[in-house]
Amino acid sequence: MRQGNDALVLILAGGVGSRLNILVQKRAKPAVPFGGLYRIIDFALSNVMNSGISRVGVLTQYKPLSLMRHLADGEPWDFVGRDRGITILPPRTGEKESDWYKGTADAVRRNLDYLEAHPVREVMILSGDHIYRMDFNAMIAFHRSKKADVSIGMMVVPRSEIHQFGAGIIDDNNRIIDWEEKPKEPKTNLASMGIYVFDYKYLIKTLKENSSELDFGSDIVPRAIVQNNVFAYPFYGYWRDVGTIQAYWEANMDVLHRNGISPQDWDIHTNVCSDRHYADRPPARLGSMAAVDTALISAGCKINGKVHNSVLSPGVVVEEGAEIEGSIIFEDCIIRKGAHIDLAIIDKRVEVGAGAVVGAGTNYKCVNRYKPDHLYSGISLIGSEVVIPEGFRIGRNCVVNSSTQKVVWPETELKDGESLFFEK
Amino acid sequence: MPKSSTLAMILAGGRVDELNVLTHHRPKSAVPFGGFGRIIDFSLSNLMNSDIWQVSILSQYRSFSLINHIGTGAAWDMIGRDRQVLVMPPYQGANNEGWYRGPADAIYKNLDYVQYNKPEEVLILSGDHIYSMDYQLLLDYHREKNADITMAFTRVPKDATGRFGIGMLDDADGETGGRLTRFWEKSAEAESNWASMSIFCFKPEVLYEVLQKAQDQDWHHFGREIIPALLQSNCKIYGYKFNGYWGYTRTINEYWQSNMDMLGDNPPIDLEKWTFRTNLNHRRICDNGPTLIAGGGVATNTMIYNGSEVYGTVRNSIIFPGVQIKKGAVVENSVLFFGNIVGENCHLNKVVSDLNNRFGRDCTVGTTGDYKKAEVTVVGWNNVIPLETVIGAGATINPQLAANRWHKEVGAGEVLE
Repeated sequence: MRQGNDALVLILAGGVGSRLNILVQKRAKPAVPFGGLYRIIDFALSNVMNSGISRVGVLTQYKPLSLMRHLADGEPWDFVGRDRGITILPPRTGEKESDWYKGTADAVRRNLDYLEAHPVREVMILSGDHIYRMDFNAMIAFHRSKKADVSIGMMVVPRSEIHQFGAGIIDDNNRIIDWEEKPKEPKTNLASMGIYVFDYKYLIKTLKENSSELDFGSDIVPRAIVQNNVFAYPFYGYWRDVGTIQAYWEANMDVLHRNGISPQDWDIHTNVCSDRHYADRPPARLGSMAAVDTALISAGCKINGKVHNSVLSPGVVVEEGAEIEGSIIFEDCIIRKGAHIDLAIIDKRVEVGAGAVVGAGTNYKCVNRYKPDHLYSGISLIGSEVVIPEGFRIGRNCVVNSSTQKVVWPETELKDGESLFFEK
Repeated sequence: MPKSSTLAMILAGGRVDELNVLTHHRPKSAVPFGGFGRIIDFSLSNLMNSDIWQVSILSQYRSFSLINHIGTGAAWDMIGRDRQVLVMPPYQGANNEGWYRGPADAIYKNLDYVQYNKPEEVLILSGDHIYSMDYQLLLDYHREKNADITMAFTRVPKDATGRFGIGMLDDADGETGGRLTRFWEKSAEAESNWASMSIFCFKPEVLYEVLQKAQDQDWHHFGREIIPALLQSNCKIYGYKFNGYWGYTRTINEYWQSNMDMLGDNPPIDLEKWTFRTNLNHRRICDNGPTLIAGGGVATNTMIYNGSEVYGTVRNSIIFPGVQIKKGAVVENSVLFFGNIVGENCHLNKVVSDLNNRFGRDCTVGTTGDYKKAEVTVVGWNNVIPLETVIGAGATINPQLAANRWHKEVGAGEVLE
């Protein structure tokens, strides 16, 4: 490991990430499982670790329990030691106005005491939502060489996607000279990755002086561009904001196909012992009837059926004659005999009854009626701990919510684009 | 929770060389097993599952690897105010200093530690065996009988009794156990087939006394000298009958067989049911991603942990983390330890391959006939096997051979040093 750079890292992990639909019903987006064994926040945490930085605050707000269990004492990322540590920074009462975090900058401002207790040269502010590998040391070196007040990690994205991001225009020296937050008609294709290096004193000063500014992207950066030195740190490589079901599914498939991303080669660490010993299990068992090809299989799986083009978390059981295709299955699901799963994301501890079908038919284009912008390519979602009855058929773009309420299943099938038990 | 009053001591140093090249550089207790763990994990998991939390491990053989493996003890929940696992190497600077001359001597040299703990029972185990046992049942029997010593016995085939310590038990308690009436240590004369599992539960004062006597007499082994002597002096020794699976693995063939006993639909060794734990921080096992099976790869009737890549075919095998099986390669009836790389179009059959071996493409290793009749081929660690090498069934390859030691064909049963 390289010498640390004496930076303090704040990871913003409080957002709802509501477009991930039922995957964030009971957990924050950074805690959503990814790539079989990992959770989304592991990428940010491992990048920090692999850059030799060892003091981290994680700002939480939305459904933080799963995330907090996962972070534990930070040992998996080597954050335990005299000068190393990970601190959960939840919202707290005792401030003047409403106490919830109202935006990214507001969240950091409410933790000024934490910042002031850890004097450093630079503060890095990251999102806990993104899948990427980045050397933050190099970014800090860039920041210093430019004598910048703020440096922003930026990368080129397709013009059609720029409306989701902050977009910047730079001069020959990489200095950002113009900024649009989520532009409808973009003038550039250079997008902010939500990764900031701030000069420590500058950050404290700017947060104190402009207390009405709630968000980095919408408030602080546009003003700083005019008044101060803001630079774009160019990033080339794999980076995904897996904020939508489609993007989430595609990024998982990228891991499977080694399509620009390999968590193991990237030295991504996770906490295998969190959450009821999530991944602390014996080796996977492939039975005499197992037919597994192009699949990621985690420890504790027991497979005696067919698995193709899919990602399986720990402890998934696939019985004889069952088939899984193009799907992502979370921990401890049981796929009973003869069940078929095609193009689905199945949350943890789901039981798919014998002969049941998830992803029936070929009506991929029949969008979800309730959330057409969430499910439109054929992917169906099953919420955690749902028990799908024997022989039941679930179509395309369907959602079965996880629910402890009494379940009233339709007679034989859930038609394409329909949802079951959606929240009020 | 009441404080556990039993002190467990695991003997983990011995039996070097028993498993051929697998034990050239490590004690048997540290030999990999179960697709991700070590043999000693069975004893440690049993202790965890039996709520015994004061554990010490006696070893004088390359302690660092064992100490690394044990780590903080957190893997077996042996961390906390009244929970700990300690590795105890030999030491200098006291009256009893020096190398451990045998299991009894090892415990004698640490009697100060035992007495300091004021245990109600001292449970002495071997770290070399593969089994799942609730020690509390044995302890219950021990207390019920107010025994001086309670030993665990398991039934072995009649023709194998000469390899074990064999006890004759009276029939007082039927299937639970009985009083030990006679004992034969590795003798052809044994008139029973209840074999000692090297598990001894001692009343502390009995242990203290007999170990002192053993020092005077130069006795260092329980089965060979101490148990017969205690039996002679009419000590209350009971035998607790164990009916589960017991993997003794004294030869490579037995070691291979107990590996195969983890496969199939209802395997005799079921790591999940047994709640088998290992230290996932050792060799950073926890940093492995899921295993990738792709490019036409096939894996059937196989146990495979995280962190491997299969592009070839694997059947009836145990695959540890970090193994790569390249396209066209076939691995069957084999056990591949951490970090093996099997080159394209290799064929491995009934092979046990230690850490970090790299098989060049087109190697044929092990039997080409009926695997059931064949001897196991063993490859020691850190070897680079040149492409197209043929290694016959039952051959032994020593660890880390220099490149010039290799030749195109290693005959059946040959030992390459």
